[in-house]
Parts: sequence; structure tokens; C-alpha cells
Amino acid sequence: MEKYKISDSKLVSLYKLGSEEAFEQLLNRHKSRVFTTIYLIVKDNYVAEDLLQETFIKAIRTIKEGRYNEEGKFLPWILRIAHNLAIDNFRKEKRYPTVVLEDGSSVFNTLQFAEDSIESAQIKQDTHVKLRQLIDELPDAQREVLVMRHYMDMSFQEISENTGVSINTALGRMRYALINLRKKMKQYNIAYDQNIYPR
Amino acid sequence: MIRTFTQDDVIRYVYHETSEEESQEIEKAMLCDAELQIMYKEISGVKNRLDEAQKAPSDMVINNILNFSKSLNLLSKK
Repeated sequence: MEKYKISDSKLVSLYKLGSEEAFEQLLNRHKSRVFTTIYLIVKDNYVAEDLLQETFIKAIRTIKEGRYNEEGKFLPWILRIAHNLAIDNFRKEKRYPTVVLEDGSSVFNTLQFAEDSIESAQIKQDTHVKLRQLIDELPDAQREVLVMRHYMDMSFQEISENTGVSINTALGRMRYALINLRKKMKQYNIAYDQNIYPR
Repeated sequence: MIRTFTQDDVIRYVYHETSEEESQEIEKAMLCDAELQIMYKEISGVKNRLDEAQKAPSDMVINNILNFSKSLNLLSKK
């Protein structure tokens, strides 16, 4: 986790006192982590942006109405809201099967195609896009643990409690997720840091 | 005696979930265990990449959120 000059809890306190600048700092500090967490679950940019908005609106209301628990930490709290909204959306989407066109292709495939061509024209070489695709391709159980541990910063103990599996199983899934990603990164020539840094 | 460490131990180490004592043992073991060193290098390499792969939302969404917050402020001041 990055270290900041002003802590999240200080920014929340300032925001409660009416400082919009404090909120802007909080939002800019965590927007990418929260957005990535949502995106990796719903796998759709537009839906992820809607849910990001919904997440922060919930947070704003909770803080402004004085219902924010001072004892907790801001980031895990907002990530939990984001995760719950993303999972709810994911389940809802599963209840409504994809619309299939006359030729048998999915409406969403058509949209995906349009999106892909814009994307490929602009950021074809972007390895970050490829890496997110590789994360998308992981089996659900592995991706879930990876998102929870890496982006939501939950401990393996917390993941175990939340997913109903043992710590060893959660660790094993994380291991497979990292090994799979490394293999695929090699396969697609996505270089990863070869240097050893102290932790 | 130097303990043998598994990939799971290295993952816990990379994600700061080992005790101070355990971390020191892993660091010591890495000095003389090339395989463990490679394991660490690979896992922390993927971890660094995952950090870089974070996706940013559009400015429009960020502005919507900021405007919503400001609008609530205005309402409460009325």
C-alpha cells in the first residue's frame, strides 16, 4: 500500500467538516483501485463506471449522514461496497441470459466487436489491457481470490472467512492464479520485472 | 538450520503476511537457495505487473461523483 502525507481518516474527517478538496483527494487516491476491482468482476467498462459512481455515492451519503464508522479504514470499507455492488450486478446479469441474434451471435459480441476495433486502433500495444484480459480469463475461483487479495487488500484469513474456504485453499488458488498469469505473460511476451527488490 | 519454504510461503511473504521472524528466515534462505530466489522474483514480478494493470475510470464519471458531493453540500447549506 502506498503511503500518503495525509491519512485517509484525516481526509474523511476534513470532508465531514465540509472540505470538498479532501473528498477529491480521497477519490483520486483510490479511484483506480476501486474501479479495477469492479471491472475485473463485471468485465464491462460502462457497467463498471456506473457501479463506481454508485459506490462513491453510497459512501458520500454514509459519511455526510454521519453513519461512517470511524474505527474502520476507508479503503477496505469502500472496496467492500464496490465488491458487493459488483457481485450483485454479476448475479443479476446471470439471471438474464444474453440476447442471441438471428445468426446465433450474441448482441454483446457485436458490441464487443465494435469496442475492440476502437480499442485496437488506439491501444493495441497496451500490455495493461492484455494483462487485464489475462486476469479475465482466469477460472472464477482464482480470479476471485486474486481480486480480493491484490486489489481489495484482504488478508488470506479474511478471504477464507468471506468465501467459506480454508486459508490453504485460498492460498492455493492465489498460487495457481499467479502461476497461470506468469505463464500467459511469458506466452504473450508481457515482460515482468526481472529485478529483485527488497519488499 | 535453514527452513525449507514453499511457494505459498513466498506468496505470503510478498503480500506481507509473514511474521517478522518468518520474513527474516525467508530472506536468509533466499541468499543461499537459488530456486527460492527465482520463485520470489517471479511472484513479485507478477505482483508488480498487477499494480501497473490498474484501470482508471473516465474523467466524466469522476466529475459526476464530485458534482454529486458538492450538490449535497449546497443542499445542506440552504
